[in-house]
Amino acid sequence: MKERLLEIAETAVKMAEKLGASQAEAYVGQSRAFAIDAENSAIRNAEEKRDAGIGIRTIIGKKIGFAFVTTLSDDDVREAVTMSVKLAKVSIPDPDFVSLPSDDNSYPTVKGLFDKNIAELPSEVTADMIIRVIDASKQVLEGRDYAISAGVQSSSGMNAVVNSLGISCSGARSSILLYSSPIVKETDDQTESYDYQLTRDLSEIDPEKIGENAAHLTLKLLGPKTIEGGEMPVVFAPLGAATVIGHGFAGAVSAEEVQKGRSYISDAFGDTIASENLEIVDDALLTAGLGSRSFDAEGYPAQRTSIIEKGVLKGLLHNSYTANKDGVQNTGNASRPSYAGLPSISTSNFIISPGKGTLDDLVSEIDKGVLCRNTADRPNMTTGDLSAMLYEGFYIERGEIKHPVKNTLVGINMRDLLQRISRVGSDTTTTLAMITPSFVVESATVTSG
Amino acid sequence: MEDLAQAAIDAALKTGVSFADIRIENSTTTIIELNDGVTRQSMASRMKGAGIRAFIDGAWAFAQTTNLTSEGMRTTGESVAKLALATREKVAEKFVIDGPTFDAKVKLNVKKPFDSVSIEEKMGFVQMIDNQARDFDERIVSTRTIYGELSSEIFIANSLGTRIALQNAIPRVISIPTAKEGPNRQRIQQSISFRSGFEEMETEEAQNIGTKAAKLAIDLLASKSAEGGIYDVVLDPALNGVVTHEAFGHATEADNWPAHSTVLEEKINEKVGPDYLSISDDPTLTGMRGSTEYDWEGTKTKKRRMVKDGILTDLLHSLETSSRLELEPNGAARAQSFMHVPLPRMSNTFMEPGDWDVDELIEDMKHGILLCSFNYGYTQSAKGQFMFQASHGYMIENGEKETMVRDVSLAGNILEVLAKVDAIGKDFELEGGTCGKDGQSVPIMTGGPHARIRQVPVGGM
Repeated sequence: MKERLLEIAETAVKMAEKLGASQAEAYVGQSRAFAIDAENSAIRNAEEKRDAGIGIRTIIGKKIGFAFVTTLSDDDVREAVTMSVKLAKVSIPDPDFVSLPSDDNSYPTVKGLFDKNIAELPSEVTADMIIRVIDASKQVLEGRDYAISAGVQSSSGMNAVVNSLGISCSGARSSILLYSSPIVKETDDQTESYDYQLTRDLSEIDPEKIGENAAHLTLKLLGPKTIEGGEMPVVFAPLGAATVIGHGFAGAVSAEEVQKGRSYISDAFGDTIASENLEIVDDALLTAGLGSRSFDAEGYPAQRTSIIEKGVLKGLLHNSYTANKDGVQNTGNASRPSYAGLPSISTSNFIISPGKGTLDDLVSEIDKGVLCRNTADRPNMTTGDLSAMLYEGFYIERGEIKHPVKNTLVGINMRDLLQRISRVGSDTTTTLAMITPSFVVESATVTSG
Repeated sequence: MEDLAQAAIDAALKTGVSFADIRIENSTTTIIELNDGVTRQSMASRMKGAGIRAFIDGAWAFAQTTNLTSEGMRTTGESVAKLALATREKVAEKFVIDGPTFDAKVKLNVKKPFDSVSIEEKMGFVQMIDNQARDFDERIVSTRTIYGELSSEIFIANSLGTRIALQNAIPRVISIPTAKEGPNRQRIQQSISFRSGFEEMETEEAQNIGTKAAKLAIDLLASKSAEGGIYDVVLDPALNGVVTHEAFGHATEADNWPAHSTVLEEKINEKVGPDYLSISDDPTLTGMRGSTEYDWEGTKTKKRRMVKDGILTDLLHSLETSSRLELEPNGAARAQSFMHVPLPRMSNTFMEPGDWDVDELIEDMKHGILLCSFNYGYTQSAKGQFMFQASHGYMIENGEKETMVRDVSLAGNILEVLAKVDAIGKDFELEGGTCGKDGQSVPIMTGGPHARIRQVPVGGM
């Protein structure tokens, strides 16, 4: 398989050069995903998706074109290469483009990215997992009015990147996701929550734990109330922290956003932008990490990059384009959704270093405040203004959680949020967006009504 | 195309399922994006393949293939049927998929097909808009302009006998300038999109979108952050549309009923808002982004009146939900592409206009905020909780529009907020957008009139 993908990519690159491209790059991806989902506590749908396609980036001088197609047949690949070159020809030259990455460095070894047990998981075992996660939620919810949605998805795939400067690499990866999302109803109230596990290691999957947790989390959200607003501390549990930092801050340290003046931390390189309690790294080399890889989406070697050390902004995330433009080292953070897009920049494993104390410990130190267990909101990336609804939030009084809240928003600018992180916990959790413990922001504006 | 579809359906039925359907797609897209006058991306793509579903007793299975030969159809049809048969014992509820059948080939007539306009001309259009935004004011420090076009041909067939061939064409232009003055930076997004050929990019409005966006970004430099609190608010048509779509529309998608995942579950034919409130979803409007003659299951589309005079009346149906709830199908099943399963989705969603003059609606307010346009929004149908962020707004004091404010967020609960709508304007506008659900994005439009809501929490800094 690996050889075939590399061969298709090499042929496409040669074809592009023949058609007049001065540089060319082909990204070939091939994947299989198997998913089962359940609604109202029973299996409903099974899906098997096999996907394979190619994306071709071509360069003529400083003009760039790109095309992709959802098949790997010779005719379709030829059409895509032709379109890509045609688009490069009519593009407006980008003076900041220097070159695609070249083959000067060796690749790090990153372990645990592919688990044969996941790639070859029989459909009966997958079905069994979803039944177990539902049963575990059911047990906790016995005697109540509930409906559980649940899902399991195993995926495995391989990608290959080849360019005309000698880059030629390929890698395989696999992962499995299992979740339970119960809805619980009472006479005048209805709520839902969820818990999930996403891992590259099949042996880590624990359906009972996820099912039970999801049910307990949902029960805690029953009977939400509004509260009296004002300035108060906000405790961010890992899911909430991951949205605010994993999206809301990670996006601001993308070199592309900084270069374009679209980031709220532009011009802050080397400055103290956060409280000294905060330390963040982007580590692509973490064993079995969800964002781990030995090469990025342009085939450049991946690495570990320090972003914040003792509150000081130490690094930005680069791909070949932004690194060339600034004349700095590429950090290997080029990313693309699949073959179907040009490389942009994103984190690998974005990690907040743990401090001390559990979430309960952090809550116990608050006299009056709120706990943001989860939010879906992100800041305005240009101004840093954040207005986050407590998707799952609680009111804290005298060190104890009193009740869940509704219609409640937390307002703060990201620059203040970073400076006001007064405590970082040790309850490190792997979420979709990042790896983070809970933390406390000592004051923000809370509105509720 | 018909032969390929038939081969897949026959193979699935022969394996032992009771229902099968297929979507064969051939689509192309072109995207041209300029940043600060230079090409950021020129991209072309082709999506080509088939998605096949099989059903028995309450168990669904789905598979996709890009092997568009009779052999590819047969093997995929067979394997997807086997997958459905394997899970049939584990379903909660048995039901049958049934519905009317349709047979039609729909041709979309556009004035200027995309392939009649050269790529150079399209590049020139994007460049013109990008320059327009940058030349508007020297405080515009960064510009981003995107042109995109989608043209698709879809063939849909099912084992009940439906055979539908559909065409679609959607162009879109987006202008995103950033203005800067001192440390203050403001970015705004404006876009125009319809179901049409390139002709909709040649209207005066589309040709001047760069100027419109740049002016708004410059105006925003002088805006202030709003103070959080409880306010009377007026939503402009753009924001009203998004709130209607997100906070209410999603909860009327009928797949929420079997899943017990909507706060509206017990509310069919009951009052959910004041008598003067009506909310509709209409895929039959001509030239709108969310319009289609038949849905992605091949069912003829109809206008859905979700709320009529304050009463919840229609839901948005796929063949599965209309079969299970024993209601009439109305053609709301959509999929992002052949790689996805059709789900009940909205098309062009709006609040129906009322009888207030917009000026009077504002003059009648003592202290409040006019909220305009939007950055984003979302909702949780099971809890009824929603959140929206307006891109900007204006404080209203004693009936007068005063200071401009930015990034104002609005949170609430669906059922609580509808009851608080106390005045609906006579005006009406629709805007293009994209809606996400279960990882699938589809083109939509949202809108309505200006509408006033009393006493809602607004988040500020």
